[in-house]
Amino acid sequence: MLLKTVFVRLLTTAITLFGVAVVVFILVRVAPGNPIAMMLPPGATDQDIATLNAVYGFDKSLAEQFIIWLGGVIQGDFGTSITLRQPVAELVLGRLPATLELSTLALLLAVALGGFVAVIGARKRGTGTEVGLDLTSGAVLSVPDFLWGLIFVLVFGVLWPVLSISGRVDPRIDIDFTTNFYIFEGLLRGRLDVVGSTLSHMLMPAMSLALPLAAMIAQLLKQNLKEALTQDYTTLARVRGFSETAVILREALRNAALPTLALVGVQFTFLIGGTVIVERLFAFEGLGNMAIDAVINRDLPLIQGIVLLFAALFTVINLLVDLSYTFLNPRLRHG
Amino acid sequence: MTSTTAHTHTLDIINLNIALPRGQRLLRNVSLQLEPGEVRALVGESGAGKSMIGKAVLGILPHKIKMTEGEILLEGAHLNAMTPATRRRTVAKMSALIPQDPLTALNPVRKIGPQITDPLIRIHGWSHQRALARARELLDRVHIRAPDRVMHSYPHELSGGMRQRILIAAAFAPSPRLIVADEPTTALDVTVQKQILRLIRELQRETGTAVLFVTHDMGVVAKISQKVTVLFAGRVIEDAATHTVFENPAHPYTQALIAATPTPNVSARPFQPVPSALIAELHRDTVAADALFAQRGRR
Ligand SMILES: Nc1ncnc2c1ncn2[C@@H]1O[C@H](COP(=O)(O)OP(=O)(O)OP(=O)(O)O)[C@@H](O)[C@H]1O
Ligand SMILES: [Mg+2]
Repeated sequence: MLLKTVFVRLLTTAITLFGVAVVVFILVRVAPGNPIAMMLPPGATDQDIATLNAVYGFDKSLAEQFIIWLGGVIQGDFGTSITLRQPVAELVLGRLPATLELSTLALLLAVALGGFVAVIGARKRGTGTEVGLDLTSGAVLSVPDFLWGLIFVLVFGVLWPVLSISGRVDPRIDIDFTTNFYIFEGLLRGRLDVVGSTLSHMLMPAMSLALPLAAMIAQLLKQNLKEALTQDYTTLARVRGFSETAVILREALRNAALPTLALVGVQFTFLIGGTVIVERLFAFEGLGNMAIDAVINRDLPLIQGIVLLFAALFTVINLLVDLSYTFLNPRLRHG
Repeated sequence: MTSTTAHTHTLDIINLNIALPRGQRLLRNVSLQLEPGEVRALVGESGAGKSMIGKAVLGILPHKIKMTEGEILLEGAHLNAMTPATRRRTVAKMSALIPQDPLTALNPVRKIGPQITDPLIRIHGWSHQRALARARELLDRVHIRAPDRVMHSYPHELSGGMRQRILIAAAFAPSPRLIVADEPTTALDVTVQKQILRLIRELQRETGTAVLFVTHDMGVVAKISQKVTVLFAGRVIEDAATHTVFENPAHPYTQALIAATPTPNVSARPFQPVPSALIAELHRDTVAADALFAQRGRR
């Protein structure tokens, strides 16, 4: 039963990714802007352009180009970046850890902050505190992530410069890691200087990404908590002598987390989408920042590689959300 | 303060008044006592305020509903005089609740075992082993086969009757002095109802726990209780020993309630609903009493 589910899941994932590949491949080629023309100085002859077109295979038909590219992808070869002249797979996988660490930190911050506010709101339900928290999270939610980024740059970068506003890590630190997971590997190796510097660089972009999601979690989780707190099992827990806070944390939270989780999964993929602009804003060397460069330079192979990786990331996240849903809900666990 | 009697009642409710925020009264000067080891039935039609009495005792009144007057004493201790935290612990240590609906009274995402042992460990301060042994003992007593397996299951894996037996076990586990049972059989199959009722009665006799048994079924009243309180629109209209109430009901409403109960052994008597004229008269009394109460308050 479980095996069948996994198999169906993998199959649909493959089909989805293929669809994404086709659409992106066509889109980047019909979009205005010729990558070859951008590589040559002004006044290049038609002859020069034709030569370069042939070098990169742009002279073949769209279908032919696609088949060649797909053949490479299946063997793990995503082509070569036109501007950086390196294998796309290498470039993209080199940047992925930065974006993964950033969005994971943002997610953790959002869950911690949103969860905390939701519990306080549920604890103080029916009071002015709840109204105040509702208004605050409503206001936070109405400001998009990149605006939060600008606000943070202004406050903590310019007016009161306490945090680093650009880059991923202090360039003076010597990093000889095998992976680009600075925090993860830094913790394993006990290189706290790297971890600290990376965290201080990540804090503002991560907070920018986290705040809107935190506000959303605060609102939804509080609503679900209040619903759970009217249920008979919470009343029984009160009769048994548990304090309101204990009732919320021990009885209501897991029940309320279930409906909240579905939304968090979807919103997390939006959060990762948000890294594109926020990384740019903080000159953070991640996948999103690279994506913008690739688009500006019409680096078609690189764009394709990045988009495909993002798509794969989203499907993996959806899978993880489904799995954790099953884990949290005993009714689904024993099918 | 008002200890008029020499001995201590398990539960002593004196002149309890409960109202909605706008002043609509839900309970009107309710007084009732429970002696140690006694079962008192609380009867009356739907909306009479039966559950409200239990909730007031256990401290779980709905958000906006407040006690406006009166005293509640548990084992002689004045609950009103306590801080909320002390009151919560005192009530938890001395009393327990058997809820109406076993399907919603167990947490769906937690295993059965901890739901029984948690309060024993965290509120009553027992050791893990002692709590576990007690849970096993009680589950066995309520005829749950393989208690260890059941303690590792989730509520959705068990039948309604089983869940109610588990809730009964959980209620009796800390040996409370008082149990409030709020229509503990109404949500169950008719076939299971009898077993559950018998179980509560047996355990009550074995442990000597006093039980406030909320029901609207006079048949159940006859089977389980020694005393009866009849409630109408938040007022006590009759308070007597069960056999007296059945042999010689003082109030016409009680007479009507008994007449309205289909009893299998007295099959000759036809089923009679409570006469509407009587209900109308009772409501008129209530309204008049409320007007008087409001006047008294204004002076
Ligand atoms: N949360 C609430 N808000 C306002 N009024 C309420 C609330 N809960 C109960 N009431 C009212 O209080 C009165 C007494 O309710 P209670 O639940 O004690 O009745 P009951 O005798 O237990 O009836 P039933 O047999 O239906 O359970 C009813 O008139 C009901 O409408
Ligand atoms: Mg009721």
